[in-house]
Amino acid sequence: MGFEPRILGFACNWCAYAAADLAGIIRMQYPTNIRLIRVMCSGMVHPRMIVKAFTSGADGVLVMGCNPGECHYVEGIFKAKARARIVEEVIEAMGIERERFQIVWCSAVEADKFVEAVTSMMEKIKQLGPSLYNRKTFPDQIIRGKPNDC
Amino acid sequence: MTVRVAFEWLNSCSGCEIAILDLGERFFEVLNMIELVHMPLIFDQKYYSVMGDGDSLQIPEADIGFISGGVRNEKHLEVAREMRKRCGTIVALGTCATHGGIPAMINSYTNDELLERYYSTEDTDEASGYPEEGLPALLDRCYALDEEIKVDVYLPGCPPHPDQIYQALVALVKGRQPEFKEKSVCDTCPLSRGGNLKKLRRFLEEPEPKDKRGNPLEMKCFLEQGFLCMGPVTRGGCGGEEKIPRCILAGVPCKGCYGPVINDADPRLEILNALVSNDVDISALEEHTSLLRFAGAHGLLRPLRNKGGNEH
Repeated sequence: MGFEPRILGFACNWCAYAAADLAGIIRMQYPTNIRLIRVMCSGMVHPRMIVKAFTSGADGVLVMGCNPGECHYVEGIFKAKARARIVEEVIEAMGIERERFQIVWCSAVEADKFVEAVTSMMEKIKQLGPSLYNRKTFPDQIIRGKPNDC
Repeated sequence: MTVRVAFEWLNSCSGCEIAILDLGERFFEVLNMIELVHMPLIFDQKYYSVMGDGDSLQIPEADIGFISGGVRNEKHLEVAREMRKRCGTIVALGTCATHGGIPAMINSYTNDELLERYYSTEDTDEASGYPEEGLPALLDRCYALDEEIKVDVYLPGCPPHPDQIYQALVALVKGRQPEFKEKSVCDTCPLSRGGNLKKLRRFLEEPEPKDKRGNPLEMKCFLEQGFLCMGPVTRGGCGGEEKIPRCILAGVPCKGCYGPVINDADPRLEILNALVSNDVDISALEEHTSLLRFAGAHGLLRPLRNKGGNEH
């Protein structure tokens, strides 16, 4: 069996999660590799959570929020964007390609944009191959010791 | 009843041991409570029996074992494992043991790069290379103690304040788990804060107000003046009972020597996040590897994946 990436998605309650809902209602197909976590705002996704997802073995992380100007909390996405920049730099330093992390804006009606984001992310990760922290592929590469992180 | 205590040092500078001596008169009080059974700093105990003919490493049984320093080579690993076997409670003493400390900065480089750099600079003649015999082999990187053995008590600090060492010793001797508050340096910092931080600049000029340096009660927060201070993400307590953090008292920003506030956090990520979440432009930072200068173990610092390519 080929490599099936595991992607973690943080979707904002007001837009992206609603878009995912809509995609389901209108029966659009998208890869099942993504696991969605609903958050109140993309701006509340602490970089610590994203890095934790990677060190726990996620091959990719998607953060999805509202379109610029449509943020439910007015400036949540600016925070998300600022945080995205440091996440990219820190994961790069940790040995994870920065393409594995992506931030996407889609409104509640843009089910197609949501599906397209997930599909393209999945294809990109398939090309990149498993992440360095993917324990199935690299069982003892990184995680020597550190018992409380498992 | 006296409590048997063993001290051991691994990849360390002996600063933590100096901090123990720095207990002052309390040191004698401590000596009355404990029986020192092993401490390479002050007595010459042979690991392989007195004649050196034992076939396995021997460390006496103890109730409490203090270990300073991280794990960098096979010897450290062997000693750490033996300590774990012989001691009831293991205390990781100092930031090297808890988070890797300064020596873990080597984790940004591979062993080959390290040895090449060390043994062949531009002007050394014929480098002889790393000796193969009589020296323990290097591990692939510098580990914190808890990556190799189970640690019961974490006592970070570079070095830990004598007040905390005393507090920990007394608690352990009485059979209690020592408790340290998970508070940041800012929680214990007396500098005045106004809540506006917009720009970072390099620490090339004296902080404001210039004539008040050394008088912490009249100084302004370093971060708000634009000088990078690791205070918000660093465990407090370095001032001991006097409370004022030591670097602040000296008129310089916090460097982060107590490691992260929460034990397994990443201080680099935390401080960068704190900055960008407050709208601060971080492009003024030339690099961010040094934000991990005290916490590079646990896989946080790694050699860059492709050299030269994507270096920040």
